[in-house]
Amino acid sequence: MKAPVWDLPIRLFHWLLTGLIGFSWWSVRFDHTDWHIWSGIAILTLLVFRLLWGFFGSSTARFANFVRGPAAVVAYLRDSSSWRAAGHSPLGALSVVALLAAIAVQVGLGLFSTDPDGLFEGPLASLVSIDATDTARDFHELWFYVLLALIVMHIGAILYYRFMLSTKLTSSMISGRLALKPGTEPMRPARWWVAVLCLAAAFAVARWVVAGAPPISP
Amino acid sequence: MRNALLAATVAAVMLAGCQQAADNPAANADTPTGQVLPIRDNAAVLVRAPATKAAALKLMHDRHESMEQIGKAMKVAGRELKASAPNLAAVRASAATIASLAPKVPSWFPPGTGPDVGKTMAKPEIWQKPADFAARTKSFQQAALAFNAAAQGTDLTTIKAKFGDMAKTCKGCHDPYRTEHKK
Repeated sequence: MKAPVWDLPIRLFHWLLTGLIGFSWWSVRFDHTDWHIWSGIAILTLLVFRLLWGFFGSSTARFANFVRGPAAVVAYLRDSSSWRAAGHSPLGALSVVALLAAIAVQVGLGLFSTDPDGLFEGPLASLVSIDATDTARDFHELWFYVLLALIVMHIGAILYYRFMLSTKLTSSMISGRLALKPGTEPMRPARWWVAVLCLAAAFAVARWVVAGAPPISP
Repeated sequence: MRNALLAATVAAVMLAGCQQAADNPAANADTPTGQVLPIRDNAAVLVRAPATKAAALKLMHDRHESMEQIGKAMKVAGRELKASAPNLAAVRASAATIASLAPKVPSWFPPGTGPDVGKTMAKPEIWQKPADFAARTKSFQQAALAFNAAAQGTDLTTIKAKFGDMAKTCKGCHDPYRTEHKK
């Protein structure tokens, strides 16, 4: 019997993020730097949404419900049955936090970057010196490899679950449902309008960044 | 050490070159805004390959430095033109730098300075389609001179338009003839 574990906002977030990261790589590699910048802004919007959804969203999306300290991670590694909630395990939480943080760093660097030719720039580039925008781009290029390493580990973990534990995580991220062990706490979904509010807030933040982060006057 | 010295000398010579251009914007001041200045024919300089590998590598290194210099001037001008009150002196200095380097671009790509010789982002297609490459560098040259001419005036709309036109000619050559990563 399969039970809901990932709500619709989380699944949309996951697959839009996946698609946009791929598109970001492709667009900058094949000389569409303008699209690359907009893709980064779309990713920023998703990240802000995810952050808010991590506080106000469904139970499996809330950071408080799955981010745990080292002791809980070790306990989980010794005995996986010690963790009884649907969604991310304490070990998986490390991966989630690392991926979200790494993507946030990458977007942050991109916002302050210019291309080597001086033809394109991130929306916040004019807030710093020209040399700083070049440095930001250098780190933006290097940090991609950090992101790539985390993505490889993420896919590795999914393959491990698929072939060693016979658990299809990819299909559960599509359907939102997964067979749970008896006694597992089910997901408590959030109201749909909370997602709308989080998304509206995310758009507002992205718009403010696109405008070059002007001072906010009440 | 020798390389560093060479690079410093080359940089100094180039800086001197653009200083000259920057000091002398009046030369173009009487050119009507937007009019394209006469262009020397650079077709001849494209053909001669460097005599030695060392000379080729030096040329490639200098080419990279000069391209970066153009990029830097683009960033300065672009930033000023986006500002609410652009510093036109900075725009003029950048325009002069670019206009002084643009006519030299074809001479930076003689045969024997491609990726088979050393580390470069230049694609082999440059030497496979010399006519197209020459046409594109010429477009850049014309656009750079037009931008420089416009920058002598104070009409921001025209200056911005000519800057945008020039930016397109950078991309027009980089997209087909430059790789994203150094090999």
